Amino acid sequence: MAIFSLWVINKAGGLVYQRNFADGLAQLTSNEHLVLAGTLHGIHAITSRLSPIGASSGAQVIEGESFKMTIFLTATGTKFVLFTSLHETTTDSVLQRVYEAYADAVMKNPFHTPEMPIRSEGFDSRITALIGTGQS
Amino acid sequence: MTIYSLYIFDRHCTCVYYQDWHRTKRPKPAVEGGILPAVSHAITPQPLPADSNAGSTFTSPRNTLTSTSGVVIAVNEPISPGPGLYQTPPSHQQTQANPPPSTSGLAFDEEAKLVYGVILSLRNMIKRISGRDEQFTNYRTSTYKLHLYETLSGYKFVMLSDPNTDSLRFVLRQIYNGPFLDFVVRNPLVIMDSKERGIDNEYFRANTDRLVKGLSVFP
Repeated sequence: MAIFSLWVINKAGGLVYQRNFADGLAQLTSNEHLVLAGTLHGIHAITSRLSPIGASSGAQVIEGESFKMTIFLTATGTKFVLFTSLHETTTDSVLQRVYEAYADAVMKNPFHTPEMPIRSEGFDSRITALIGTGQS
Repeated sequence: MTIYSLYIFDRHCTCVYYQDWHRTKRPKPAVEGGILPAVSHAITPQPLPADSNAGSTFTSPRNTLTSTSGVVIAVNEPISPGPGLYQTPPSHQQTQANPPPSTSGLAFDEEAKLVYGVILSLRNMIKRISGRDEQFTNYRTSTYKLHLYETLSGYKFVMLSDPNTDSLRFVLRQIYNGPFLDFVVRNPLVIMDSKERGIDNEYFRANTDRLVKGLSVFP
């Protein structure tokens, strides 16, 4: 049970926030993170077109053999992606609270430019309080 | 709980087999030359009616990104038409950039390419993120779940099911171990890796059908 990492992807597919919480996944450079986030954005758009029974959302959970990515898409197109171990059950509530923190500490911050990388100590500390202590 | 469809891709990225069960939204038949022969009867291009639905109903995979959801690359790039099957009027190309959200089904060859693209990208992505030789196993959306099983020989078995099912990799493995080995690999009439024909034959289809219909997740 561990939360490995968090991404925030803006509506254009750019990675605006990335943070690691636990070891277990590869250490990637920030450039690699950017590329992967862009890829995920594209895949997400395609997966909603492949539905065999009419309209579908994009991918919500993507699983590998040892970890999974839970994707939360907000109404405004921002994606929150949480990398956790396979049997983590709290992902949905964590993502919901990350969104709250984002709304409070980022969107209400007058010095934040929308769609740009998030550099906000307030957001950082809210995330630390939320996830940094939440893991075993 | 149900199972929607099964795709098999070979190591050359081509779809060599397709079967479906409970799809309410069937794909359109593929355009001529879009898929190999002997993939599936249901989606093989029909010689006569193909002309009537050409053109207006064709959708391109480039529509998948709407203009609000990302960097749209090459929207206006001319799309090379299939072998004389459809002509895209210029006005149609412009409207493709902003498709209505609920489009009718894709043509099968387009759909197969999208499925392959998704599994290939996700597979590479999972490998990069984990830093190990880790397989992508499945993903879930609000209406379906896609499962992948890849054999050592590079065949990719892809199954679409209800989003609430558990992992179905064991089923894909059973299809590989059972019908696939018996009626495709050991079938002298099936030329594998030919790049010219699919692997469809009535024994494989019937046995796969029986195996899938016997599952507890199949209603």
